[in-house]
Amino acid sequence: MAVLNITYNGLSADYDMDIDYAASDADIRRIAVEVVRSGGVRGLHIANLADNAFRNYVIDHMDSPTGERRIYLRPKVPFGAEV
Amino acid sequence: MRIVICGVGALGSTTALFCRNLDATLRLVDFDRVESKNLQAQWFVKQSVGKNKAQALRLQLQNFYGVKAEAMGVRLSEDNTRELLDGCDLALDCFDNIASRQLLSTAARDLELPLVHGALSGDGTFGLVRWDERFSADAEDVEGQATCEGGEHLPIIGAMGATLARAVQDHVRAGDRHDYMVSLSGVTRTS
Repeated sequence: MAVLNITYNGLSADYDMDIDYAASDADIRRIAVEVVRSGGVRGLHIANLADNAFRNYVIDHMDSPTGERRIYLRPKVPFGAEV
Repeated sequence: MRIVICGVGALGSTTALFCRNLDATLRLVDFDRVESKNLQAQWFVKQSVGKNKAQALRLQLQNFYGVKAEAMGVRLSEDNTRELLDGCDLALDCFDNIASRQLLSTAARDLELPLVHGALSGDGTFGLVRWDERFSADAEDVEGQATCEGGEHLPIIGAMGATLARAVQDHVRAGDRHDYMVSLSGVTRTS
């Protein structure tokens, strides 16, 4: 299980519920759209978020400084992370 | 200690400004020239317009702060990478394109040279500071995609430059290799 962090439109927030660390990229993008629309991500509630809002986003799997498993859904910068 | 900053446009010039008090010699690498439009988002002054960016930044650091730096006004290539990194203890990737980032990453790994990358999203809302052991390149949406043109993104460029300089400072003083994520809502340490 892992914490999902979503960055969109300059704002970044964690989704409170753990998700499967091994979830596919497509699943993570779909889950992210749903939870942002529903208000499940504190400070990042966009009811009319488009289905493809995260289509070009990058997904990083990383461990936090405290050892927590985290998944980051973020814009391209352009560079990424090795798992 | 010698620190090489590869690419001294928006992010590199701002980071150099925040690294000026380190107990280290800065080496600045950039082939480009300062244009008047660069004054909106890059740490260059009007008198630097027309000069090579690496040379202009060296002069500004010398004239404003008495800080000596080395300027390499060339484009990083397979032929000169080792020469540009020679004698350096730490490298910063502030390039704006994937090809140069990958070239630098490959060379740093071969030389076992610590390398930290900094980059901003094209819309200027987000940035990452990441050490090379966790680096791989994202695909550009279009080749040579421009980032942060104009002055609109200057505040986040400042935040990114300060965060990258903090990562460098922590490494110089304690050997730390912390990654950071920068958004409009703040700076988060991610590893």
